[in-house]
Amino acid sequence: MKQKRKQRSEAVEESRYFGDYGGRYVPEMLVPALEELSGAYFHYRESQEFQKELENLRKNYAGRPTPLYFAENLTRLGRGCKIYLKLESLCQTGAHKINNALGQALLARKMGKSCLVAETGAGQHGLATAAVAARFGLRSRIFMGEVDIKRQYPNVFFMKTMGAEIVPVRDGTKTLKDAVNAALKYWIEHLKDTHYLLGSAVGPFPYPLMVRDFQSVIGQEVKAQIKIYENRLPDVLVACVGGGSNSIGLFYPFLKDKNVRLYGVEAGGRGPGRGENARRLGKNPRKGIVQGYKSYFILDHEGQVQPTHSISAGLDYAGLGPELADLHDAGRICFDQVTDTEALSAFKTLCQAEGIIPALESAHAVAYALKIARKFSRRQIMVVNISGRGDKDLFIAAKELDNEGWMRFLKEEVNHGQPD
Amino acid sequence: MASRIDEVFSKKKKLKIMTHVVAGYPDLETSQNLILAMAEAGADMIEVQIPFSDPLADGPTIMAANHKALQNGLTPKLCLKMIEEIRDEVKIPLLFMTYANLAYTMGLERFVSESAACGVSGLIIPDLPFDERGYDDYYFWLKECNLVGIQVLSAGLSLPRLKKLLKIAEGFIYITLRVGVTGAREGMEKKSADFIDQVKAYAGLPLAAGFGISSVEQIRSLISRVDLAVIGSHLINLFNSGGKENVQEFIKEANQVIEQLS
Ligand SMILES: Cc1ncc(COP(=O)(O)O)c(C=O)c1O
Repeated sequence: MKQKRKQRSEAVEESRYFGDYGGRYVPEMLVPALEELSGAYFHYRESQEFQKELENLRKNYAGRPTPLYFAENLTRLGRGCKIYLKLESLCQTGAHKINNALGQALLARKMGKSCLVAETGAGQHGLATAAVAARFGLRSRIFMGEVDIKRQYPNVFFMKTMGAEIVPVRDGTKTLKDAVNAALKYWIEHLKDTHYLLGSAVGPFPYPLMVRDFQSVIGQEVKAQIKIYENRLPDVLVACVGGGSNSIGLFYPFLKDKNVRLYGVEAGGRGPGRGENARRLGKNPRKGIVQGYKSYFILDHEGQVQPTHSISAGLDYAGLGPELADLHDAGRICFDQVTDTEALSAFKTLCQAEGIIPALESAHAVAYALKIARKFSRRQIMVVNISGRGDKDLFIAAKELDNEGWMRFLKEEVNHGQPD
Repeated sequence: MASRIDEVFSKKKKLKIMTHVVAGYPDLETSQNLILAMAEAGADMIEVQIPFSDPLADGPTIMAANHKALQNGLTPKLCLKMIEEIRDEVKIPLLFMTYANLAYTMGLERFVSESAACGVSGLIIPDLPFDERGYDDYYFWLKECNLVGIQVLSAGLSLPRLKKLLKIAEGFIYITLRVGVTGAREGMEKKSADFIDQVKAYAGLPLAAGFGISSVEQIRSLISRVDLAVIGSHLINLFNSGGKENVQEFIKEANQVIEQLS
């Protein structure tokens, strides 16, 4: 028994790194909490009871399995391979983020924590956290950059309605990266009763590994579903990459299937200038150690983290998940970019072609899929992850796509609220 | 070779004082003058922070100072040069404190050797734990360049880990008075007081305590408990409200209390 535990703890230590990346680069005061977390995680990962509970919640609460949908019209537009969409957008709370939130909340409860703290960019992870907190009777406190609060107000409203406390972050760039810093700092001060429910496959060990595990349900389902529809593996997988949780979740079960090509799509934003995009793997990518892990980050030549931009708050982040960094170096995943304009256009295209409203994050994956579909034959199969739905992006998309009508609506709303 | 840090601890004074300065805050020249002013007022050691965009262990006060310094265009290079210029003038040991990414980006060898060349006596990198990759390299270059690597410990540490840390610790052991980020607070957490006693039982090195010290009373309570009090955020607050004279006054007041009890 003791021998077994020792072996397991050695295996845990080994798994701290993905190649050269990852690790647990945190001040000593955070180490005990992270050790407690990895201890609990590796214990419950093996527990059948835990897995059963999670499975049940996935099915009856989150709405899994999500459909793998053959997008016939989109396929026609792509003029190449067959395009399937994995509809994470149909999950409870509208994005893949619930997969991870459910897993970690369940774990937090087993660990006896009464409070969840989380960062959020697009608000999808915050929303998922607020939802599971409500479901499990835990308190939740969501850190969100001021810039993101402004551009993702629908999610802010729903988080509050579910009982979460929203803490605006006014430091630095006032976006996701700064929300992570603020959440980590809050956690440091409240380790005893609080679990930090990190929302992407980033941060110090064990987060990148644990988040990947919880999100791998996406790829596992795709594998089983495509077997039923096509009786074979897909040829191409496409996902957008913020921190990397929806992409690694889709890719992970296929890593060993060497003939399946993997594409990760980063935010090209407004273009290549400093602060105009969120490309970690553009020209001259830089490695660093930030927010507890070693990976690629958007840094200046001295190592200061640089401001980022993307029309989608969820991709607007300076760091790349460490496992993805390793898979990039190994040549297993190909990374490319899609600009704000291309993403908006794909957002509209998917609405018109299939009646599906993608999140602006996911619209990046759609845009890229349409770009490369032609490179593949009609018989080949592509799966695109629709990581979330676009309702939250109403305020951004409407302004861009129907400015006049939208402005009229907003003015009328405001006028109704005010006595003349 | 006895380092300048060891010399500080051989002084008779019952509690030594280490002050904290964010290089480049509010601007490079003022921070340089502040270091001189602190030394003149009786600081025993000074910790100079090289600003980083994402200072994980720092609370609002020091974080804001980091950001201001970066806005003003401070770079690690300018920071090294600023210290080099006053090195001969300042007789007490100086330490650099910064985050792993800046050292990693410069290259650990270069960062350590250039720090040594500009005349600091030791380094504090809180987010480079001893059991992560890169630490061995860092440790090697510290030895090579005759610099001391300071370990920062907090309550909650497991005993096996504490023992490992104490094995590699040098100079002094920096204990945080609270499990939390830097920032001026009142009182001392009970578990931190207990932790100090626990470390004392095992450590063969002087102890330092910091994080949250914001009054002379707190400093008084540390006398005979630890060997060095570290004052950071509070001095920035004092500077913001009354300039370097305000900072000097606090250091002198603290020293008076310590002298009285020595
Ligand atoms: C719908 C959606 N897709 C993608 C992302 C990007 O995150 P990740 O790369 O971790 O999947 C987010 C993040 O907020 C999101 O809300």
